[in-house]
Amino acid sequence: MYTELFLIAVALLASGFFIPLVFYSRDSRIVRTLASSCTILAAVFLGMVSVPILLGGNAIAFTAYQPIILFSLSFVIDRLAAFFLLIIAVVSACVAVYATEYYEHLGGGSRRNLLSGGTSLFILAMVLVVASANTISFFFFWELMAASSFILVMYEYDQPETRKAGIFYFVMTQLSTMFILFGIIALYARTGSFAFSAAGSPATPLIIVSFLSLFVGFSIKGGIIPFHKWLPYAHPASPAPVSALMSGVMLKIAVYGLVRFLLDVFSPDLWWGILILMFGSLSAVLGVIYALKEHDIKGMLAYSSIENIGIIFMGIGLFVIFNAINLPLLATISLLGALFHSLNHALFKSLLFLSAGSVVHATHTRDIEHMGGLAHRMPWTSALFFTGAVAIAALPPLNGFASEILIFISIFSSIAVVDPLLKVLLLVCLALFALTSALSAACFVKAFGSVFLALPRSPESAGAQEVPPAMLIGPGILAIACIFLGLGAYQLFLFAGFSVPLPDMLFIGFLLLLMAALISILLYFTASRAERTSETWGCGTHFQEASAEYTGHGFSEPLDIIFSSIYRTRIRNERVFFDKKNCIFREGTAEIRLMKVFEEYLYLPLAQFTVRFATLVSRFQNGCLDTYLLYVFVTVIAVILFLGWF
Amino acid sequence: MSYDFILYLVINTVAVLATAPLFVSLIKKVKAWTQGRCGPSVFQTYYTIAKLLKKEVIYSSRSSRIMRVTPLVNIAAMLVAALFVPLVFVPEPVGGIGNIILFLYLLALAKFFMALAGLDAGSSFGGMGSSREMSISAIIEPTTIIVFAALAFVFKTLNIFDMFARSAASGTITTPILILIGISLFIILIVETSRIPVDNPETHLELTMIHEGMILEQSGRNLALMELSAAIKLTLLVALLVNLILPFGLATSLSFAGLVVAAVLFVVKGTVLSGIIGLFESSMAKMRFFQLPSLFAMAFFFSTLIIIIEVFA
Repeated sequence: MYTELFLIAVALLASGFFIPLVFYSRDSRIVRTLASSCTILAAVFLGMVSVPILLGGNAIAFTAYQPIILFSLSFVIDRLAAFFLLIIAVVSACVAVYATEYYEHLGGGSRRNLLSGGTSLFILAMVLVVASANTISFFFFWELMAASSFILVMYEYDQPETRKAGIFYFVMTQLSTMFILFGIIALYARTGSFAFSAAGSPATPLIIVSFLSLFVGFSIKGGIIPFHKWLPYAHPASPAPVSALMSGVMLKIAVYGLVRFLLDVFSPDLWWGILILMFGSLSAVLGVIYALKEHDIKGMLAYSSIENIGIIFMGIGLFVIFNAINLPLLATISLLGALFHSLNHALFKSLLFLSAGSVVHATHTRDIEHMGGLAHRMPWTSALFFTGAVAIAALPPLNGFASEILIFISIFSSIAVVDPLLKVLLLVCLALFALTSALSAACFVKAFGSVFLALPRSPESAGAQEVPPAMLIGPGILAIACIFLGLGAYQLFLFAGFSVPLPDMLFIGFLLLLMAALISILLYFTASRAERTSETWGCGTHFQEASAEYTGHGFSEPLDIIFSSIYRTRIRNERVFFDKKNCIFREGTAEIRLMKVFEEYLYLPLAQFTVRFATLVSRFQNGCLDTYLLYVFVTVIAVILFLGWF
Repeated sequence: MSYDFILYLVINTVAVLATAPLFVSLIKKVKAWTQGRCGPSVFQTYYTIAKLLKKEVIYSSRSSRIMRVTPLVNIAAMLVAALFVPLVFVPEPVGGIGNIILFLYLLALAKFFMALAGLDAGSSFGGMGSSREMSISAIIEPTTIIVFAALAFVFKTLNIFDMFARSAASGTITTPILILIGISLFIILIVETSRIPVDNPETHLELTMIHEGMILEQSGRNLALMELSAAIKLTLLVALLVNLILPFGLATSLSFAGLVVAAVLFVVKGTVLSGIIGLFESSMAKMRFFQLPSLFAMAFFFSTLIIIIEVFA
C-alpha cells in the first residue's frame, strides 16, 4: 500500500510541474495555487509513507523502469530514506503554503508559472534522489535536482548579481555532479554493480578514490568550506521559497548521499572519519565567522547554513571515527545527532529563510542596516523569526539545542576512552564546536536586533506592513515543529526505539514555565504594579534618533577585530601633515578592504588556470580548413602506425 | 520523581534565593575595605532589591515585547539552572537535571535574552553592552567547554549531581588536578559574572560597562529581577567551585541536622570565596577590551594543559 501512496505523491508532484507549464500563457493565480496544492497534497502522502517506515515499518522497494539488465530506475524506501523523505515533505509543504502568496507578489508575469512548476519539479527530483535504490537512479535524479534548482536560482535573470550567482552555482553544481559520477564509476570498476551494496572491507586504492571523489561531490553540494562559494551567491539571488528549499532540503540531500554511501557501500577507515570531522569543524567555525560579517540578511543565513552543515558533518565524522575504533554506542549517538540536526536545521533554516523573505518583501531591501523597528510593524513575522533564531542559536528548550547536545555528549563521553592523539583532536574539535555555537548566538542576536528591534533606520522599514496570512501560516507550522521537536526530543527518540542520554526537555520546559509562573505570582502580590511608557534616560540627549542606534556593523565590530586575521581585513590609513612633528593634519586617505580569501586565493586562480588552459587548447581550433585536414591526416597516419605495430 | 527530589527542588531554590544577594554584597564589602572605605552593609543587596520592587517600571516607547519578557525569562532560566547545582543537598538526578551542558546553555539562554533587551530600546549604551557581552561570551566559550570536559573526564560523568556526590564521597582531600581545574573555573567565574578585569560591575562608564550597559534600560521590579538573576548566577558558579574543590559537609542524604550543617558550611565556604573574589578584583585593573582575547587564550591553554596532563598521566 505504501508503494501506491508513494506513487500518488510522485504523480501529484509531477502534475504540480506540468499544470503551470501547460497553462503557461495564462498568468493567473489559480494555476499557481493549483500547483502548490499538488505539492502540499503530495507532501501529506509522503508523510503517510515515511512516518510508519521511520517508526520501524518494513522498507518498500520497486523497480520503475529497466531498459537493460545493468541500468534500472528502481526505488527503495528504508528507514534512512524515510527520514529524509519526511524532511522533504514537512519543509516543502510549508514552503508551498508560503509560496501561494509570495509568488503572487513577484514581478515577471507568467514567468511565475515556470517558477511555480519548477519548484514542484525540484521537490520531485529531491524525493526521487532519496528514494533511489541504485547509484544510476541516484545520479540521474541528482542531475535533475541540480538542473531544476538552477532554473529556480535564475528566476530574476535580468539582475546582474543573479547572473553572477547563476554562473557560480552552475559551475559548482556541475563540478559536484562530475565528482559524484566519477565516484560512482570508480565504485562500479571495483564492484561491477550499480547497487548500494558493500564494496568490500580492505579499502583498495580504487575504493579510496571513489570515496574521496564522492566526498568532494557531496561537500560541494552541501557547501563545505572550501567548496562553499556558491551558497552565499545563490541564496540571496533566488526567491525566498527557493532559498528555503535549497538551504533547508537540498543541502540535506548531500548529507543523505554521504550517509547512504558510508553506511551501505563503504566500510570506512579511521582516517576517513578524521577527514570528515576536520572539514566539518572548519566549515562550522568559519561559516559562522563569515555569517557574523554578512549584512545581507539572506547571505547571512546562507553562511549560517554552511556552519550547520559543518556541524552535521562533524557528527558524521564522529560516527565514522567511533565505528572504526569500535565504540558502537557513541557512534550511534553521533549519527543520531547528525541526522537529528539535519531535520532540525531543515526546519529552522527554512523558517528563517521564509520569514526573512517576508521581511525583504515588506522592506524591499536585504541590507539589515536599512531595517530596524520591525517588531512593532510585523509582530507575527518577528515572533516567527525569533523562534528560528532561538532554535538556531541552540538554546534550550528548542530543537537546535537538542541535536547539538547529542554531538556534545558523544564528544564528552569519548574523551575518556579514545587514544591520546585522537583525544587531542577531539578536544580541539570540541573547542571549535563550542566557539561555533556561541558565535551563532551572537550572530542571531545581531540579526534579530538589527532587523526587528529599536527604531527603523530607513523609510521603507518605517512603512513596512505585516505580510498576508499564507506567508505566516507556512513558517508558523515550521516554528511549531521547532518547539515541538525541542520539547519532545527525548520522548521522540524513545518512541523511535533509541535510548539516548538526552535530558528530558519536556521536564526542563515545564520547570522553566513553573519558575516563571511562580515568580509572576510572587511579583503580583509583593511588587508595585505601576507601569509607564515614556522616554528612558538617553544619557542627556533630548530625543533619540535612529542614527544613534547600534548598527549591525557596530554590533559585530569587536568580533571583527578579534577575528581580523581570518577576515584578512586590510586597513590602510595614510596621512600627510603640514609640520615635521606630525601634528597638523593636511590630508589623508583611509580604506578598509575586505578580502574574499577563498575567492581570491582558490577560486580565481583555478578559474584563471582553466581559462589559460582553454586558450591553449583553443589554438588548435583556428577555423582554417587546411589545419583540420592536417589533423585528419596526422590521425590517419597515427592509426595506421598503431595498427601496424600492435 | 521521588519525594526526596521534590523536596530538593524546594530546598535548593529557597537556598539560592536566600544566599544569592549576600555574596554580591560581601564582595562589595571586601572591595570597600581594601579601598579604605567602610562600605555598604552586607545586607545592602537585599534592601536594594526590596526597594526596586516597590518602584514603578518605565518602558521606553521604542521597546518591544522582548523588553517585557526578558526579566522573567532571565530569572526563570537562572532558577532552573540553580536546580542543576545542589547547594546543600545532593539527591539522585532525575530527567537530565544536572546535565553540565544543559546548565551552560541555560546560562546562554538568559544571556541571549539580555543581549536582545539591550538592543531593544535603541540606546547606544545598551547596544554597546550587548555587543561586548556576546563577543566576550563567544570567545570564552571554548575555555568553558574544555574546563567542563575536563570535569566530565575527571569525574567520569556528565552530571553535576554525580560530580558532587563523587567529590563528597572521596573525602576532603583535593587532588592537584582538581586545584588546577579550580583555577580555570575561577577565571570562568570572573568572566561570566562580569567582574574586573573583564568588566566593572560598579560603574556606568561607557568605557567599562558590559553587563551594566545591557540592563541600563531596566527599571523597577524588572531591574530587581535582573539584579537577582545576576546574583544567582554568581552564587551558582561559586557553589560549583566550592562544592567540587571543598565538598566536605555536603549532604547526600536527607536529614534536618545534615541540611543545617551543610547550609552553614556552604555560607562559610561561599563567604571565603567571595572574599577571595573581592581581593582579586581589588588587586587588578580593568583590562582593555581588545586585550581580553589574549587573557582568554591563556586560560584556554591552561585548561587544555590540564586535560593533556590528565590524558598522558
